[in-house]
Amino acid sequence: MRLPFFSMFLTSPFEGIQEHAEKIKECAWSFQQAIECYISIRCTRFEELRQEVCRMEREADGIKRRIRGHLPIGTLMPVSKFQLFRYLREQDGVLDALEDALDWISYRAEAGVPPEVEKDFLLLVDAVIDPIEELNKMVCEARKYFRTYNEDQRTVVKDIIRNLRQQEHDADKLEDAIKRNIFHKCTDAVTVFHTVRLAEIIGSIADHAENAGDMMRAMLAK
Amino acid sequence: MLTEYSVLIIGYIFGFYMAWNIGANDVANSMASAVGAKAITIRQAVFIAAILNILGATLIGSHVTNTIRKGIVSTEVMSDPQLALIGALSALLAAALWVSFATWKSLPVSTTHSIVGSMIGFGIMAGGMKVINWMKLFAVVMSWIISPIFSLIIGYVIFKLIVRLILSQEKAILAAWRLSPVFIGSACFVVVLSFLFKTPLGQQLAIGTPMAILIAIGASVALGIAGRWGIRKLLDEKGDTVELIFRRIQIGTSCYVALAQGANDVANAIGPLAVIYFIVKTGSVGSTVPVPIFLLLFGGAGIACGIWMAGSRVMTTLGTKITTLTNTRGFSVDFAAATTVLLASKLGLPVSTTHAAVGGVLGVGLARGLEAVNFRIVFQIMIYWILTVPAAALTSMLLFWVLRAIY
Repeated sequence: MRLPFFSMFLTSPFEGIQEHAEKIKECAWSFQQAIECYISIRCTRFEELRQEVCRMEREADGIKRRIRGHLPIGTLMPVSKFQLFRYLREQDGVLDALEDALDWISYRAEAGVPPEVEKDFLLLVDAVIDPIEELNKMVCEARKYFRTYNEDQRTVVKDIIRNLRQQEHDADKLEDAIKRNIFHKCTDAVTVFHTVRLAEIIGSIADHAENAGDMMRAMLAK
Repeated sequence: MLTEYSVLIIGYIFGFYMAWNIGANDVANSMASAVGAKAITIRQAVFIAAILNILGATLIGSHVTNTIRKGIVSTEVMSDPQLALIGALSALLAAALWVSFATWKSLPVSTTHSIVGSMIGFGIMAGGMKVINWMKLFAVVMSWIISPIFSLIIGYVIFKLIVRLILSQEKAILAAWRLSPVFIGSACFVVVLSFLFKTPLGQQLAIGTPMAILIAIGASVALGIAGRWGIRKLLDEKGDTVELIFRRIQIGTSCYVALAQGANDVANAIGPLAVIYFIVKTGSVGSTVPVPIFLLLFGGAGIACGIWMAGSRVMTTLGTKITTLTNTRGFSVDFAAATTVLLASKLGLPVSTTHAAVGGVLGVGLARGLEAVNFRIVFQIMIYWILTVPAAALTSMLLFWVLRAIY
C-alpha cells in the first residue's frame, strides 16, 4: 500500500550497505578457498570457486545499484549522500579486487605459485581476509552509533577503523616481502610479472578496506 | 419528495459513513509512531485506539456543536430549514466521499478540512460568495504552512536535546533517568493544557489560561516525579534502556492523541447529523445545536468501526516500513505534533494532527535522527491538503444542486 506519510520513510541505505558487507564476507571465504586451491597442485575446483565469487560479485553489484537508485533528491540521512556513495564505492572496491585477483590467476592458472613464495601468499591472503571481517563489524557498529549517538559506541567504531589501518599496514608488509622474494629467487620473467601483479591485486583488497574505514571516519565526524 | 424522517435516516447512514472514514483515515495519527517504534503491537494499537476514540467522543466530545464547523460560513444560510437540511446532508456526504477517496488512495487528509470545504460549497450554493468568512478560510490556508513548519522546528529541537543531554552522555541510562521527570513532565504539561483548551469537555470547564497553566504545571510535576520513581526498575534491565524509558512515555502520549482525536473529530461526522436531527425534531435551527449523547456514542462507534476495519491494514504497512522510528524519535514526533496542535488551536488555527505529525517526522530527520526520510514527499502531501478544501466544496455544491432538484 502506498501512503505518502509512510513513503516519507525510505528503505534505509544502511540496510543495503550491511547486506553488501555481508556479501563481501561470503565472497572472501570463497576467495580464500580458491587461492588455497590454486596453491595446492591437486585441487581442481579453482574455476568453480572463481565462478562462485563472480556470481556473488554480480549480486553485490545489484545491492549497490539498489542503494544508489533509491535515494531521491531531498533524502534526509544521518550522513551526507555524497559521503555514503564514496563509502560504498570503497566497499565495492574490496569486492572488485577479490574478483580481479581470481581473474588474474585464471589467465595463468596451470602454472601455479612458485614454491618460494607459497607460504607468503597464504599469509597475505589471511592478512586481507581479516580487514574484510573487520569491515563487516564496522558497518554493524556504525549503524548502532547512528541510532544511539552514544560516545562509547563512537569509540568502538573508531577502534575498528584503527584496526583496519593496522591490518592494511601488515598486509602491505607481506606484499612487499613477496615482491622482494620473487625478484631474488625467481628468474622467469613471466612468472615474476604474474606473481608481482597478483600480490599487488591481493594487497589492494586491504587498501580498499582501509579507505572504506577512512570514509566511515569522515561520516562519524561531528 | 423526501419525508423528513427519510432524510434523518439517510443522515444517520451518511454520518456513520463519515465517522467510519474518520476512523480509517486518522487511525495512523495517534498510533503511528508508537507502532513504528514497537512500543505497542498492531493489535493493541487498534484496540486501544478504538476504545479511546469511543470514550473520547462520548465523554469528552462536545454536547453542543456549531451548526457550521469552524464558523467558516455565515449562519444566515441556515435560516431556511429546508435548505439547511439539504445543505447538511450534502456537506456530510461530500466530506465523507472525499475522505473515503483519500482513504482508498491512502492519502492522509484532514477530516476537519474536508467538512470545512464541503460547508463552503454548500454556503456558496445557498448564499453566494458573500457568506464565506474569508478570514477563517485564510486561517485554514495558513495552517497548511504553519503547522508543518512549527512542528518541524519542535521535532528538531526536541530530538537534538535528547541526543545532546541523554544519548551522547557517557552513562546514557543514568542521564535518561535523571532527566526523565523533565520529559515526562513536559509531555504531561502539553497533554493537560491540550485537554483543557482543546477538548470540548475542557472548554466546558472554562478554566482561565493562568489557572490552566497552574493545573498543568502541578500535574506535570506530580507525574514527572511519579514517572521517575516508576521507571526506576527499568534501570536494571538489559538492552537499550533509554529507548525503554521513552517507550513508556510514548504509550501515554499516543493514548492521549487517540482520546483527543475522538473528542474533536466526532463533531465532523456528528455536527451535520445533529443539525439534521434538530431540524427534523424542532423545525428550525440556530447557530448552535445540542448534540444528544447517543449521537456522540453513534459517532464514536462509527470511528471505532473504521479503525477496526482499516486500522490493521494501515498499521501493518507502518510496522514493517517505519523501522527506524525508535522510541526516542517517536516521542519527539509525538511531542512536536501535540505541541503544535495545542499552540495552533490556541491561536485559532484549524490544524490537523496529520499535518503536524508530518512536520515532526521531518524535524527529526533534519536532526539526523532517521536513517532515510524523503523530504520531497511533503510537497506531495501538501498538494492533497490543499486539494481537500476545493474538492470537498465542489462535491458538496454538486450534491446540493442534485438534492435541491430532487426536492
